[in-house]
Amino acid sequence: MIGPSPPFWLFVVLAAPAGAAVLSLIPSSRVSEAVARGGSLVALAAAIALLVDGASGLWGPYLGLDALSDVFLVMVTGIYATSTFYSARYLRGIERPYLTPQIYYGLLSAFAFAMIAVLVVSDLGLMWIGIEATTVASALLVVLERRPTSVEAAWRYTLVASAGLTIALFALLLLYTDTGTLNAFTLAAQKPAVTLPVEMAVSLALVGYGTKVGLFPMHTWLPDAHSEAPSPVSAMFSGVLLPTALYAFLRVYAILPVPAPAPIADLVLAFGLLSAIVGAFLLQRQRSFKRMLAYSSMEVMGIAVVGVGVGGIALYGALVLLFAHAFAKSSAFYCSGNVLQTTGTTRIDEVRDLKTRVPWTGGAWILAALAVTGAPPFGTFVGELVIITGAVGLGEYWIAAVLVGVILVAFLGVNGQIGLMVFGEPRVPTVRSEPGGERGVGIAYLNLVVALLVGVAALPYLSSALRAAAQLLGGQLP
Amino acid sequence: MVSTPEIVALLGVGILLTALYLQSESFVDPLISGIAVQSLLLAALLGWLAWVEGNVDLLLLATLAVGIRAVFIPFVLRRQIRAFRWRVREIHAAHRVTGHALAAVALAIVAWFVFQQTLASVFPQPGAALPFVLLVEGLLVLATRRNTIVQVIGYLEEENAVVYAGALFARNFPLFVEVVVFLDVLGVVLVGVILSIQRDVTGTPEEASLEELAG
Repeated sequence: MIGPSPPFWLFVVLAAPAGAAVLSLIPSSRVSEAVARGGSLVALAAAIALLVDGASGLWGPYLGLDALSDVFLVMVTGIYATSTFYSARYLRGIERPYLTPQIYYGLLSAFAFAMIAVLVVSDLGLMWIGIEATTVASALLVVLERRPTSVEAAWRYTLVASAGLTIALFALLLLYTDTGTLNAFTLAAQKPAVTLPVEMAVSLALVGYGTKVGLFPMHTWLPDAHSEAPSPVSAMFSGVLLPTALYAFLRVYAILPVPAPAPIADLVLAFGLLSAIVGAFLLQRQRSFKRMLAYSSMEVMGIAVVGVGVGGIALYGALVLLFAHAFAKSSAFYCSGNVLQTTGTTRIDEVRDLKTRVPWTGGAWILAALAVTGAPPFGTFVGELVIITGAVGLGEYWIAAVLVGVILVAFLGVNGQIGLMVFGEPRVPTVRSEPGGERGVGIAYLNLVVALLVGVAALPYLSSALRAAAQLLGGQLP
Repeated sequence: MVSTPEIVALLGVGILLTALYLQSESFVDPLISGIAVQSLLLAALLGWLAWVEGNVDLLLLATLAVGIRAVFIPFVLRRQIRAFRWRVREIHAAHRVTGHALAAVALAIVAWFVFQQTLASVFPQPGAALPFVLLVEGLLVLATRRNTIVQVIGYLEEENAVVYAGALFARNFPLFVEVVVFLDVLGVVLVGVILSIQRDVTGTPEEASLEELAG
């Protein structure tokens, strides 16, 4: 229940990862691992409590929650928790890590804290700081495995993301000059007049935050960082960092009247469609399975952005898609970590017969591939179907047709390659790997169950929160 | 007596000239000096406005511009250069700086023109287009240069553009000082940590063309 002061769980959801980030630095890798695990579980419990309470309101000039933030909080803390647990297994497989476990867990928790902070503030300036903080906290995580390619990827990530965020800051300057406030909740309620500075601000925010979402043509950091980061970090990048950046844009977009003015809605649609198309086609020609998964994320983000641009019922579809994709894609990346540490390579053509070598991981990877590419009955299927239905409902048949084409191309590409790696015949006979190769696969299955439940069942509290969140953004109920 | 708008315009033109200079230089050491001079000019502009208006926030921003972007980061970058004496010139850009300089001038004119056609009526302050031009020039450095030290300079130029814009037309922007502090922290992380790791692992500040990252 919400009183005049912020709910208790709001402080807990912030304090848990912050405390874990600090306490992880205790010079004992076992303690820091335990602290990070504990912090992530407490944060997840607090986020679920906020969702169950239907926490919403504005507290002071800077704190605010509504259904949209409640949904995203569960998503972020869920992937933070599973990534923290999977990390223990993954770190043991790295021969000469660049970071100590203490620094790794500290940065992982700081990364989660920055994303959570974005979701609980009402001020667009603070939101921007939170998004920028995710770059600072996560850049070093990318270099964990000490490869020249990792350093190159970390560099590109920091530079491209920061350049994009500078543009987003320009957008906020324009918005503030015109409206005199940066409170996202107030602006969304008041719906300021759509002046030229407001139009430019929303457009620049799309480009600025879109860089971090991985939208074409600002996506260049995405495949590098996702493929070079350790798998639990890749899971957090793909599963929740990209949606959190999209959340920041949604808060700016929500100040526009419903339906959004045609030039801006068209711009959003153009960025979304181009990203989905480019992502779907580029994933076909990847030699690394982690890069392929990264481009798949770009494609899914593009589809979600199309949902935002179409509006109406498609907005609800976009939120369902983002939620289900977070759990499905993180599962796919955990499996990719097991495969990488079992085979020692990320090259698709060098990995075969996983069904024999790591059967549980192979099985989870097949399911995760189906889930991320929108196969029924996973939640991603429901989300994509609702977006397409929304486009058809508005008479935008060509958008629906393009989306169907993109989804089919991505489906064939990802499932074809992962199917080949799992079931393909090896050049030399393989044997089942030692049981250690399957460690952590239970976490992948757990996330797949969540992605499945989002699709097949009206989950208590979550379903109503997703509907309420879509309504907040001007969407309609299905 | 010189008026405040004239001083702001004069310093703004100086900042623009440093931006164009940064596009036309391929040696890294003068580029570091160039960004330091640009930050000093911006600090002078902020300091002047702070003195005229008695605005403490602007004074803090001027101090940050001098302390972090004109002194500290250039100092760290020069130390990086000393570690790579054999690479004081950006090899990838060496043959192309004339083209870069011409593109920079053309881009500055286009950015100015676009601003006059769109936002000039909303932001009538003298020289209000200059931060936008500076932002575009910073992006051009980031897009065209492959040496990581030069890319840091492009990032600092972008940061200068944001601070410049905030000082000119969004002076009451909440938490602006904190935002700039954050940008500076990121700048320090960039030069202090990632460049050092890059030196440890790859042994070169040139952005590599690694086959694994193609596609």
